[in-house]
Amino acid sequence: MEAKESKNFLKPIYFVLNEAGEITYFSLRFFRLIFKRPFEFSEFVRQCYYIGNKSLPLVAVTALIMGLVITIQSRPTLVEFGAEAWLPKMVSVSLVREIVPVITALICAGKIGSGIGAELGSMKVTEQIDAMEVSGTNPFKFLVVTRVLGTTLMIPVLTVLADAISLYGAYLGTNIRGVVSWNLFWNQVFDVLVYADIIPSLLKTFFFGFAIGIVGCYKGYNSQKGTEGVGISANSSVVISSLLVFVLDLIAVQITDLLGFT
Amino acid sequence: MDFNTEKDVVIKVRNLYKSFGNNKVLIDFNLDLFSGECVAVLGKSGSGKSVLIKCIIGLIKYERGEIKVLGNEISELETDELDKIRAQVGFLFQSNALYDSMTVKENLLFPLRRHKRNLSNIEVNSLVEEALDNVKLPHTANMMPSELSGGMKKRIALARTLILKPKIILYDEPTTGLDPITSREISNLMIEIQEKYKTSSVLISHDINCVKIVADRIVMLIDGTNYKQGLYDELKNSNDIKVTHFFN
Repeated sequence: MEAKESKNFLKPIYFVLNEAGEITYFSLRFFRLIFKRPFEFSEFVRQCYYIGNKSLPLVAVTALIMGLVITIQSRPTLVEFGAEAWLPKMVSVSLVREIVPVITALICAGKIGSGIGAELGSMKVTEQIDAMEVSGTNPFKFLVVTRVLGTTLMIPVLTVLADAISLYGAYLGTNIRGVVSWNLFWNQVFDVLVYADIIPSLLKTFFFGFAIGIVGCYKGYNSQKGTEGVGISANSSVVISSLLVFVLDLIAVQITDLLGFT
Repeated sequence: MDFNTEKDVVIKVRNLYKSFGNNKVLIDFNLDLFSGECVAVLGKSGSGKSVLIKCIIGLIKYERGEIKVLGNEISELETDELDKIRAQVGFLFQSNALYDSMTVKENLLFPLRRHKRNLSNIEVNSLVEEALDNVKLPHTANMMPSELSGGMKKRIALARTLILKPKIILYDEPTTGLDPITSREISNLMIEIQEKYKTSSVLISHDINCVKIVADRIVMLIDGTNYKQGLYDELKNSNDIKVTHFFN
């Protein structure tokens, strides 16, 4: 009885370790093929367009709202300490260093990660991946490498745009209750923001993008159980990549702290 | 047809063994496909028919045995060599496997661009037109797969298979999910193609009407082995209940 219980207890641990191993192996396959000819350049460009352009409206609206909300929420506390003038500085550091990269990555995990998981999953169950292989194309290179490169490069671009839009939201938020001129606001923002704020936060978004792409592709590419499997792939892509975003963020914070960028 | 020499054999399968866990799907299966003939492999659902042709095209790795396609042992080929063989072997998937995100023309161009890189745009367009004419759907080039009916999708999938002018075509359940009239049309189309391009083909099916129309010879895949083989009428009039079961 005890042995059975311990077996049940070990099952989820075994599952997590197994998944981690499989995703690592999948990632190594990606790195092995990335520099191998032929380069699927047109598919890569198509994926960049799809990932970047199609996600931009959602990311932009969310960034604007984030900027507004964080500013409106922070104001009362700063007013209490008589530090209202610090509002643009405090909000811009919070947004650029942490909030915008993480929220953008989470939105992309939901939109792009699930999309990749579902698309590749449905291609798998309808034998389109096999058809590609029969057509003399390496499906891993055509489908996985292009998508993972697309997310790795496009999510930082989306984050930079989201940073700018969220700061504009913060400007609007500052002016809802107070009056801060356009020039004064941006002077304060760029007075406080230094490269040590921007570069580490931008660098981690490459890793967020890679994690979202690789998990979505892994789940879709290994989809099973027919159409039910497609749903499972899409869902687990979002769950795992969102979790990975937080884990990577934690690691990034520790590293920047160790390197003295805080 | 008279097939006697080893030279005429385009696909040779010997003692093929494939299992999935404890499930033994193919046990010492043998098959010869001669040049210009169509062999139907008849068996129940889940009997390993699709596994057999996926082993032949190198999509599934087999554990034991030998598969020679156009004289090449499939398990010993490097990826590039396998791709060259695949250019000569068309595969019609059960689910059609048309790429949803591409138009019909792009679907047809996909294998063409990869296997025949030196073709000019004029040659490419003429091959696409020819492939669509062969399946009697010349007006569909700019349509998306989602706009096509089941029978049209099957025809386009066949056009994509044909565009490289393969020497061998592997048909995986070509009439599954189609109404009897469309099934007959597809079967007739398969004969037309075989006559026009002198292809050899392996037909995987449990649709006895399609098998009757298209196949020159039938191999019964029962319990993982080539249980019996012969002509349609020979097998239909057999005394073996396991065989006649398919014909009634």
